[in-house]
Amino acid sequence: MFHCSSHKSYWIFKDEEELSLLRCEANKKCIKKVLETVKFGVSESMFLKRHEEECLLRHYEKRLLDFCNAFKPAMPKSVVGTAVMYFRRFYLNNSVMEFHPRIIMLTCAYLSCKVDEFNVSSSQFVANLVHESPAGQELVAEQILEYELLLIQQLNFHLVVHNPYRPMEGLLIDLKTRYPTLENPESLRKNVDDFLTQASLTDIGLLFTPSQIALTAILNSASRAGLNMESYITECLGLKQDKETLSKLYDSMRRMKIITKKYELPKPEEVNACKQKLERIHAEFVANSSNKRKRGYEDDGHVSKEPRLTTEELSDDDLI
Amino acid sequence: MDDQGCPRCKTTKYRNPSLKLMVNVCGHTLCENCVEMLFVRGSGNCVQCDTPLRKSNFRVQLFEDPAVDKEVEIRKKVLKIYNKRDFDFPSLRVYNDYLEQVEDIVFNLTNNIDVENTKLRMEQYQKENRDVIQRNKAKLTREQEELEELLLLEQQGNEQRRLDVLQEEQRQLQAKRKNKQALLDELEQSQLPATILLAKHKARSAQLETEIEQQKQSVKPTSLFSTGIQQNQTVSLVPIPRIEEVLYQYRPLKMDTYGPPAPDLGQLGRLGYLNHVRAALPQDTAGGYTTAMACHRAMQDAFSGLFSL
Repeated sequence: MFHCSSHKSYWIFKDEEELSLLRCEANKKCIKKVLETVKFGVSESMFLKRHEEECLLRHYEKRLLDFCNAFKPAMPKSVVGTAVMYFRRFYLNNSVMEFHPRIIMLTCAYLSCKVDEFNVSSSQFVANLVHESPAGQELVAEQILEYELLLIQQLNFHLVVHNPYRPMEGLLIDLKTRYPTLENPESLRKNVDDFLTQASLTDIGLLFTPSQIALTAILNSASRAGLNMESYITECLGLKQDKETLSKLYDSMRRMKIITKKYELPKPEEVNACKQKLERIHAEFVANSSNKRKRGYEDDGHVSKEPRLTTEELSDDDLI
Repeated sequence: MDDQGCPRCKTTKYRNPSLKLMVNVCGHTLCENCVEMLFVRGSGNCVQCDTPLRKSNFRVQLFEDPAVDKEVEIRKKVLKIYNKRDFDFPSLRVYNDYLEQVEDIVFNLTNNIDVENTKLRMEQYQKENRDVIQRNKAKLTREQEELEELLLLEQQGNEQRRLDVLQEEQRQLQAKRKNKQALLDELEQSQLPATILLAKHKARSAQLETEIEQQKQSVKPTSLFSTGIQQNQTVSLVPIPRIEEVLYQYRPLKMDTYGPPAPDLGQLGRLGYLNHVRAALPQDTAGGYTTAMACHRAMQDAFSGLFSL
């Protein structure tokens, strides 16, 4: 259950400042590591700044979502949610410069299929990369398998992610049972789904509990439809007396709404610029990235193939 | 055992598996026939090591490796002299030292190391401890006698039982024969019709059979348990000491869900939640699934962590 899970104990943070602090730390750590290993030919401007990393991450999160939505066989929502959460958690403590988000994104999706018991073999998985040749797909499969263990380790082995979809269902059932004032809760469902998808693209999953996110989604779509659900909260959730908790709840709901409104997809030009920088970093500090390989891929043929393939893959009309 | 051949005639062992190998004090083997042939005069030299040997020293080989047999012979001889027992010594350490001495001697004699000195040491020991050796010899013989007596008793008991069983069987056979004979006599002499006589005979023989069965099954009542305690004996056990401790009180587990309480699994149907959940198909319920389970889980998830901040 959520209240005794590792998700609640370790992966719910107080506010966005804490998150940005963690990400800055990761960025600085990576820069320091690169500066230590490579003595010359390096300037500060070559590294990605925080906002550039943000832009890249948002872009790749969207890509991950699209990949999962285009997945055959159809991926259940919880698997998608878990994959996105893994991606987000991983880049909380690691920098984009160290691990290319393209591989990590696929590894997150693969791991989430396994954890959520959505059985997909690795060959079936890479067959969904429609723009790759079969040889390329195999290469990707190998890379995924290499990075899988690293991903699990960086998640601190906390693999169970509580998504807001089941709480949403539970709240809808509760509404239907105990709140007859609201005529047709099913009509809210589409808006709720949209809100939840939007929320998964933001940091909300790291700041609030899934039941709070679900409640906010429902209230949001109800207010959009012009229905007032305050009485539900006070009556049915038993908060008539408890003013403090009530105000806190409203506060967090407000914050969530602000965060979702603030979210915007990064512009393509920005993304391309950042991508080029990233590619250069990854290509130059090849020794950097090859150290991260768990198995000793010593032959240069494999290593030099990787950047070439990635530049092929990063075309924008990919995957959709 | 067949892989060893007689070193002299070689083939004879394979051809004749019942042939036995004999070992002598030098540790080399010879098959029976060769012994006969070589030691027809009573003494001669060993084929392999040329040591002077006597025919009487040949013993049937018990172990595959003749060296082992040799060592066994030597050990027997040494232990005849070095026959102290563990209670003859003041401490375990001294006893172990003594045993080590014995092993050294046996080893030396078996591998022909320093034979002269070892023999001298043995003689010296013998002279010094003559009376101890005698006493131990007597003790040993006494113990052996006791063992032999027990063995004898057991054998006698077995024999007795066997004889009893045999006698029983004989008696039963006799009874059966008598029965048959009685039938024949009756058929000859009596006036009754043959069918009645046959029926009577059958009844009698059935009775005999049941008697035999009963006798076989009747177990002689014993007076001893297998552990050696008499059956009527009451064994007094030491009463177990009572340990007074604080009694365990069950307290149900309290879990903080950080949210409003979720309805109980049993209440869900009554409260009307199940109307809004997809009903379980027959194939689902076969595995033990009920609609209430999914509903309960959704409700718990909806309320868990709602107020946590």
